[in-house]
Amino acid sequence: MKVEYIQPFVSAVFTVLETVAGCKCERGALALRNTTFTTRQVTIMAGVNGDLEGAAMYGMSMITAQKIASGMMGSPIQQFDEMAMSAVSELGNMITGNATTQLSERGYHVDITPPSVIKGANVELSTKTPALVVPISSDYGMVEINVALAETALRKAA
Amino acid sequence: MAKRIMVVDDALFMRATIKRILEQGGYEIAGEAENGQEAVDKYPQFKPDVVLMDITMPVMDGISAAKAILQSDPGAIVLMCTALGQQNMVIEAIKAGVKDYIVKPFQPERVIEGVGKALGAKA
Repeated sequence: MKVEYIQPFVSAVFTVLETVAGCKCERGALALRNTTFTTRQVTIMAGVNGDLEGAAMYGMSMITAQKIASGMMGSPIQQFDEMAMSAVSELGNMITGNATTQLSERGYHVDITPPSVIKGANVELSTKTPALVVPISSDYGMVEINVALAETALRKAA
Repeated sequence: MAKRIMVVDDALFMRATIKRILEQGGYEIAGEAENGQEAVDKYPQFKPDVVLMDITMPVMDGISAAKAILQSDPGAIVLMCTALGQQNMVIEAIKAGVKDYIVKPFQPERVIEGVGKALGAKA
């Protein structure tokens, strides 16, 4: 897992959160975690394939997810319902799409799969490769970016 | 008479957002679909003036759906609306006959401008 893979995701979080929810962000310190990932109260997970393979996960508290969904929908939400889940799922889609566009500008051609939203903390997930983690402080609370990507054999051979 | 738009996106939130933007822009919603296959199936029934289509969707992606719709109706106006701004996807969509693309996240004006331009290009 190269450090260069995560920067597009950090900049994508900044761009997308500001555009869709009017939210300012600040980057925290980079960390490495092993192949076991423990979910936050709300986790958005998007798959990546192509020259790079793996997943991008965005973890946050329920309060942060509700605030972001409210910002995206333009009015406060009362409960984290199907529409709110769809809003944060779309947030993950936009962030990952924006990041993979930046990766493609650096020569990595990748596609994304439709994201899934996991509601519930402390669920253990495993990834094929260790992940780089960057916490982002935002007006709506902390969003933790986890990126676990590795070059595919085809890319290595090219 | 208001032009009729079909909205295709797997995300409930995006369909609701795009419908609101289009209605505020003076357009009528012809119908909606949650994936490419549903769009292909419903297109003859809705007969929209424009199809606004996401790319990354389950069951059938937006590029395949756009190709199928354009094959059955070469005069169809399809706009892609996607989080992926990747050149290869955009080129494939344009080659298939898609008029334009809108990259998410977007400002409402960009959606109205894209639909207006696509309709203008046909006229």
